[in-house]
Amino acid sequence: MELQVNGVKSYAATGGKEFDSSLPTVLFLHGSGMDHRAWALQTRWFAFHGFSVLAPDFPGHSLSAGEPLESIEAMGEWLVDFLAAAGVKKAHVVGHSQGFLSALELAKNVPEKVMSLSGIGTAAAIPVNPALIETAQASAAKAADLMLQWGFGPGAQYGVSAVPGMQPIAIGRQIMSGNPLATDLIACSNYESGSAVAEALDIPTCLVLAGKDRMTPLKAGKALAGLMNAQVTVLPIHGHMLPVEAPKECLQALRDFISSRG
Amino acid sequence: MSRSSYLQPDTIALHTGYQPESDHGSRAVPIYQTTSYVFDNVDEASSLFNVEQGGHIYSRITNPTVAVLEQRIAALEGGSGAICTASGMSALYTTFITLCSAGDHIVSSAQIYGSTATLLRHTLKRLGIDCTFVAINDQDAVKAAIQDNTKMVFCESIGNPGLEVADLDAICERAHANGLPVVIDATFATPSLCRPIEHGVNVVVHSATKWMGGHGVAVGGVIVDGGNFDWKESGRFPELTEPYAPFHGMKFWEEFGPSALAMRMRAESMRDLGAAMSPHNAFLLLQGIETLELRMKQHVINAHELMNWLNENDAVSWVNHPDLETNETHEVAKRLFPNGAGSMLCFGVKGGRAAGAAFIDALQLGSNLANVGDSRTLVLHPGSTTHSRLDAEQMKAAGISEDMIRVSVGIESIKDIKADFAAGLKAAQRVAEAS
Repeated sequence: MELQVNGVKSYAATGGKEFDSSLPTVLFLHGSGMDHRAWALQTRWFAFHGFSVLAPDFPGHSLSAGEPLESIEAMGEWLVDFLAAAGVKKAHVVGHSQGFLSALELAKNVPEKVMSLSGIGTAAAIPVNPALIETAQASAAKAADLMLQWGFGPGAQYGVSAVPGMQPIAIGRQIMSGNPLATDLIACSNYESGSAVAEALDIPTCLVLAGKDRMTPLKAGKALAGLMNAQVTVLPIHGHMLPVEAPKECLQALRDFISSRG
Repeated sequence: MSRSSYLQPDTIALHTGYQPESDHGSRAVPIYQTTSYVFDNVDEASSLFNVEQGGHIYSRITNPTVAVLEQRIAALEGGSGAICTASGMSALYTTFITLCSAGDHIVSSAQIYGSTATLLRHTLKRLGIDCTFVAINDQDAVKAAIQDNTKMVFCESIGNPGLEVADLDAICERAHANGLPVVIDATFATPSLCRPIEHGVNVVVHSATKWMGGHGVAVGGVIVDGGNFDWKESGRFPELTEPYAPFHGMKFWEEFGPSALAMRMRAESMRDLGAAMSPHNAFLLLQGIETLELRMKQHVINAHELMNWLNENDAVSWVNHPDLETNETHEVAKRLFPNGAGSMLCFGVKGGRAAGAAFIDALQLGSNLANVGDSRTLVLHPGSTTHSRLDAEQMKAAGISEDMIRVSVGIESIKDIKADFAAGLKAAQRVAEAS
């Protein structure tokens, strides 16, 4: 659906059903350079099983207009305005990678609105190699290639796909090449308060982490889990791009966690 | 690497889409010879039907063995996904019918396979879909043919049998400027020689029966979604941007973006048209694809040797191959096919049709049949077979002459191919001298 956030057209996927603010809401937040399609295989299940779903494209990404946000803090503030614009009083919040950092900021800003917090393939800090940022500034497509080589685990690199006939690397490349990847990577790299924010949370938390994650290594994810006392699921053979790479396993972990919290 | 894999093509051809499965460790891709798949429970069944998760329901729509082939070909081409079909013609029909409805229009190259021309000229017309045929490298003609209801520009990367190479960069520039996708039949090229998506093409179709398989034992087709066309920006494709009632109002572009077309084809055309590839044929085609890179190199080497040899033979009146300077699209071929423009060649035998028939009938190694892309050398007289349904004017537009012999050069020893052709040309000369 389209909605105006601070006067700017914003898009949010609703999982194939009309958004109904009277139902418990699940908010899905994409990672660097990505968009709502990262959650294609999670949002539909929730939308058709008693929840309302919002998976926004952050400003300047894919179907949302506006300038890209330059810091994780700014993303957290934008999410407050986004939820207000959508009429959402409370939501379960799910974030992948950078999306989880922005979810942390949302929870810091309006803890009363966050019923639970789930992180997929993430950590409290996501430092980015300056060479990758430079590459992204010159060419989002080239940077996307580097990230996807690192981001997808071995199975996906050999073309194994959860959706028969599809090639997730090509889909990711196409989306990331057209989005403000460099701005996102700089925002990630500059964000330093993740640990403090996570430690201060008093919200049920869940993490789904990948054993072959080379972007937010398992060790960093487990450290984050310790800060939040989070429920942890580790998928040993997958890489960083979990929502696409292991959609069924991600969904299972999320539905178990979120459904148990109403 | 391609746009969808960081492995090299030789590796993709052997590995992509399959990792040894956990139950038995089968190194080869297993043949899942099954119609259907047991659901864990009713909730899972419901989720699969509602596209809430990926997986298999029924082999008309997806099958694990077929999926490996699809993922492998998508990776070779650099596409976001692929759909395998029962034949190359069903791949084309599926593509046309997914993107076009009654009242729509296609701009097509005039130099295309005879059955494709018949599909566009007659069968689709019955369904209310019109087609304008143009000289595809005449960009003014392409521009003039585009109408408000046009849905695509269609051509073959190497035209059959005229061997005109389509200038993909120029065609894509023209089509995209008009909000149109470019659909290409790349059967004669295979991704080993040219990856059209890298030139801007949006949908790539193959008859996998041909060089992809190479063995001539399985019929099959494939459609590769380039994932590189903005269906919403175009404004011409409500099929992909507006709600689709049978799937709870699904909007394919919004939900799937770069894989919207492939998902729509899977959800609608594979379900409703039922032109599924059998798992056994997928397995056979996988065996062929494993050696595609090696075979294509040898196909091109043999084709070059044979075309040069024919060019110097007194019994031959003309030879055509895109890598010959006399081919009108030679410069385009050099740009798009740096490693050679395939292994199809055509030539005329002095003495006309009767001499040509004598040539074909005298061959022992070369097989006279209606197929191309076999590892064996194949010959045909298009005027009396594949393109016999065309009238004289259409034949001329398609680049066909009465004396044309079409050769799909195989990978046998070139010495044996030349010896066979020498015997055939001797027979043709006898007929020519007697007439």
